[in-house]
Amino acid sequence: MGVTVLQPYPMPENKSGAHIIDYLSKRLLSLGATHAGQFLVDCETFISSPQPHNGTPGRAVHVLHNSEYPASTFSIMDSGTGKQVSLVADSIFDLLMLKMTNTFTSKKQTKIESRGARFEYGDFVIKLGSVTMMEHFKGILIEIEYKSCMILAYCWEMIREMLQGFLNINVGKDFPSYFAPQTIMTPMGQQQMHAKHNDMYEPTDTVKQYLEQFTNYRKHVSMHGGLGGQQQQPVHMSPSPVMGAAGGLGMIRP
Amino acid sequence: MSNSVNISVETTCEKKIREIGYDGTELYQPAPTLSESLAKCAARIDFSKTSLDDLKKEEKTAAAAEEENKDGTQFQESLWPWDAVRNKLKDALTEICVLSDVISIAKDKRYLVLDPLLEEGDDTKPIVQVYSRKKAISQAAQVLLSGAERLRNAHSEQRSRNVSDFHIELLRLRQNWRLKKVSNAIIGDLSYRTAGSKFGMSGTFEVTKAEEASDDDSAISSTTSSSTATNNGMQMKASSALRVIVPAELQGVAYIKVITQKDQEDLCTAQVNLMGHGPNITAQVGVWQKTLEFAQNVLFCKELFAQLAREAIQLQAPIPHVVIGNQIRATLLPNIQLIISLCHSTTFDSNQPAPINDHDHVLEHSLHQLLREVHYKNSHHPFPHPASAPLGPSKKRMLAGPMAADRETLLDMTKTQTILEQIIAQAQHIFMRKRTQYVLDTLARDVKDPQIVSHWNAMNSPTMSCVKINIVTHGYDAIGRTSLVIHVKERSLKCICRDGRVMRLSYEPQELRDLILCQINSHQISCLVSLARCMAWTVLSNSNHLGIGKVEPLGNASSCLLASPNGDRMIAVQIRCDPQIDVKVYIARSPRQDFFPSPLVPEKLWENLGGNFKEVKFDKIEGKSFLNKMEFLMASLTSNTA
Repeated sequence: MGVTVLQPYPMPENKSGAHIIDYLSKRLLSLGATHAGQFLVDCETFISSPQPHNGTPGRAVHVLHNSEYPASTFSIMDSGTGKQVSLVADSIFDLLMLKMTNTFTSKKQTKIESRGARFEYGDFVIKLGSVTMMEHFKGILIEIEYKSCMILAYCWEMIREMLQGFLNINVGKDFPSYFAPQTIMTPMGQQQMHAKHNDMYEPTDTVKQYLEQFTNYRKHVSMHGGLGGQQQQPVHMSPSPVMGAAGGLGMIRP
Repeated sequence: MSNSVNISVETTCEKKIREIGYDGTELYQPAPTLSESLAKCAARIDFSKTSLDDLKKEEKTAAAAEEENKDGTQFQESLWPWDAVRNKLKDALTEICVLSDVISIAKDKRYLVLDPLLEEGDDTKPIVQVYSRKKAISQAAQVLLSGAERLRNAHSEQRSRNVSDFHIELLRLRQNWRLKKVSNAIIGDLSYRTAGSKFGMSGTFEVTKAEEASDDDSAISSTTSSSTATNNGMQMKASSALRVIVPAELQGVAYIKVITQKDQEDLCTAQVNLMGHGPNITAQVGVWQKTLEFAQNVLFCKELFAQLAREAIQLQAPIPHVVIGNQIRATLLPNIQLIISLCHSTTFDSNQPAPINDHDHVLEHSLHQLLREVHYKNSHHPFPHPASAPLGPSKKRMLAGPMAADRETLLDMTKTQTILEQIIAQAQHIFMRKRTQYVLDTLARDVKDPQIVSHWNAMNSPTMSCVKINIVTHGYDAIGRTSLVIHVKERSLKCICRDGRVMRLSYEPQELRDLILCQINSHQISCLVSLARCMAWTVLSNSNHLGIGKVEPLGNASSCLLASPNGDRMIAVQIRCDPQIDVKVYIARSPRQDFFPSPLVPEKLWENLGGNFKEVKFDKIEGKSFLNKMEFLMASLTSNTA
C-alpha cells in the first residue's frame, strides 16, 4: 500500500478507448511489466430523499468499492456546503445502505466505474482503467501506485517520470489537484495552508481521488449535453478541495 | 273557597271469581272477614318450632304428615280453624303450669333442692388430655423409631459390606462423566464432542450392574445388557459395583509415539501394527474410572492420528510423506525422518517392557496440544460476536474491512498451517537447535585461545530460538570482544553480527562452524589492534581479507601491520583459518643490518628503509594466548633508545 496517483489520459479524437488501452498495455508489457489480474473501482451515489425546499441540494452519499481492498467499502458523504466526510467500513455497509432507501434514493443512472487490467512493474502497480457510466465509455484513467513510499512529496518526481515515460504525455510539475495545498481551519480557528503532499498516504485518499475524477467525468458529460439522455446532476459535490467555512465556495452550476 | 277533590283509594286485589252465570254475571267470592283472616294467620303458627329437640323430628313428620293430610286439613280448617291453635295453647299452658309447680316446690326447699353442678368433671379432663397426648406421642415415637431402626440397619449393612452400592457408584460416575438414561439403559458419552471435536467415531459407553456370579460374561453385547439393566430399578440389598462397557474399538491402551530417526531409509523394516479387534472385553482395568479414561485417551489418539494421516496424504511436500498402517513418516531434513505412530495395545499388561527407542515426549505433548487447540477453535469464536455479521473470523479479519487491508494482507490471513506442518516445523527446529548446540559446544571445546561463550535465551518459541555468542580472550576482556546473535529457525540460521551484517546459513553444521572460525579470525586481529594502541604501537594497516596465497574455502587471511613507538621495529601478523587457526608473525628492524652500499645505491641513509621480515617461531613464545604472546613480543621489541 503506497502512494497512488490518478492520471486521466487525454483521449485523441479519432481513436477508440479499447485501442488506446491496447496500445498502452503493449507499451507496458514491452517495458517489462507483468499482467497481474483485473481491477475495478465503482461508485454509486445516493441522494437524500426529501429534497430541501430552500433550493440547496440535498446530501449525497457516494459508496465506492476498490478491488485492491476487497474487504472494505468506502463511503464519502457530501453535504451541500462542500464538506466531505469519509468512512471506511466492512463490506456489510452495502446492505446497510439498502435499508436506507427511505432517506436515500439511489440514482442508478450515475453509477460509474473504472475497470481494466492491472500490471506490476517492480515496485509500481499500474492500472489502466476505462471509465464507463451505464455502458457508455467516458474516458481512460491511469492509476499508478508506488508501493515503497507513503508520502507523495518524496516520490512525486519518480512517479512523474514513470508516467511520462510510458504514457508519452506531458505530466505537469505541480502536484495533482488533490494534493495541492489547501486552506484549512486549525482547531484554534485560524486559517492555515496545509500541504497534503506531506501527509501519510491512506487508502481513502485513493478513493477520494477516484471520486474527484468521476465527478469530473459526470460534469463533463452534463456540460456537453450528455450521452443517452442522462439527467443533470445537482453539482453540490465540488471537486475542489475542502475549504474553510470562512472561505465558502459557491455552488458550481453548469 | 277551595273545592276539595275527592280521591278514591282502591285496593288492587280483586275478588276471586267463584262462579260465572249463564247470563254473564260474575259471582265473586266474598272477601274474608277479619275473623277469618285472623283464623288463617293463627293456623299458620307452628308451635312445634319453639322446642329445639323435637324440631327436626317433628319437622320431618309434620312435613310427611302435611303431604298426606293436606287435603284433610284443608277440609277441617273450615270447620275448626282454632282447634289446632287451642290444642297447642293447651299444651303450652300445661307445661307452664308444671314449670311453675316445680319452681314453687323448689323454692320451698323441702322436697326439691336445686344445687349447682359440681366441678369434678373439669378435674378429670386434664388427666384425660395427658393420657391422650401421651398415647399420641408414643404412637409418633413408634413411627420415628421404626424409621431410625431401618436407617441404622441399612447403615450397618453398608459398613459391614466391602462392595459399594450401585447407586453411590453411579453418583460418582455421574459427577465425572456425562450420563443419559435411554429407555432402560444408561448410556454415557466419553467423546470430545462438547469440547469442539468433530471426529466421527462415537464414544458412547454403557453402564450396567456388575454380576457377581459370573465374571466371564464375554458374550454380553449391548442388546443383552439391556436385560441386566432392567435390574437397575429394583432396590437390591445385595448390591454390586457397576460395570462400564466401552465399544470394542476403544478398549485397551493407546498412545502416540513420535521418534526422530537418522539414516534409516529402510521401509521394509517398518513395523506394521494392524489394529485388529482383540478379545471382546478385556479385564476391567482397576475401577471404571481408569477404564473410561483409557478409552477416552484411545479415542483422542485415534482422532489425532486420523487427522495427521489425512493431512499427510493431502499435503504436497518436496519428499512426500508416507503413511503405512499406523505409522506416518515425514522427512525433516535430508537423512532425518520423523516417525509418528499410534500404538494401541488391547491386552493390558502392566509388565510391558519399555519401548526400545525413547520417544520424544515434548513433541507428543505438542501434538496433543495442537489437537486441543483445533478443538478449542471449533467451539470458541473470537470476540466480537456481531449480531449481523458471520461468526468465526478472527479479530484481525474483522478489522480488515474498516482498516482497508489490501489483498496481500488478506491473503496472508487465509494461510493456516495444518497440525502435521506445525509438528514438522517444531521437530525441525528441535533438530536445528540440537545441531547448533553441538557445533558451538565442540568449537568451544576445541578452540581454547579466544573463549567462545554462548548464552541461549531462556524464553523461546516452538519454532525459533536465539543464542548470543561472545568471543573473548581470557585476560583481555576489556580490550575487545566480538559478539554475534544467531536466530535458530526451522531449517536455517540467521546470524547478526555487531557491525550489522546479517548472514543466512542453511542447515549444514559446517557453515556455522566456518562462520565462527571466521569470526575468531577477525576477533584476533581487532583485539590486536586495540592492544597495540594500549601498548603505544602504531597500527600501520590491517585488513580482513588479504587475497594472498592459495585459494581457501574459508575466505582469506586477515592481517595487521604494527610499528613500534620509535619506529625501529615492525611486526606483521597474518592469521588464516585454514581448517585451524594458523598464525604467522614476522618482525623487521628498521635500520637494516645487511645494508651494504652498492654502486647503484651508494648512500648509507638507505639503510633506514626497513629490513626484511623474518618469521618468528610464534608457538615458542611465552604466553597463554595469542594476545598474551603478542603483548610480550611488543614489550620485548619496544626499546628505549630514541
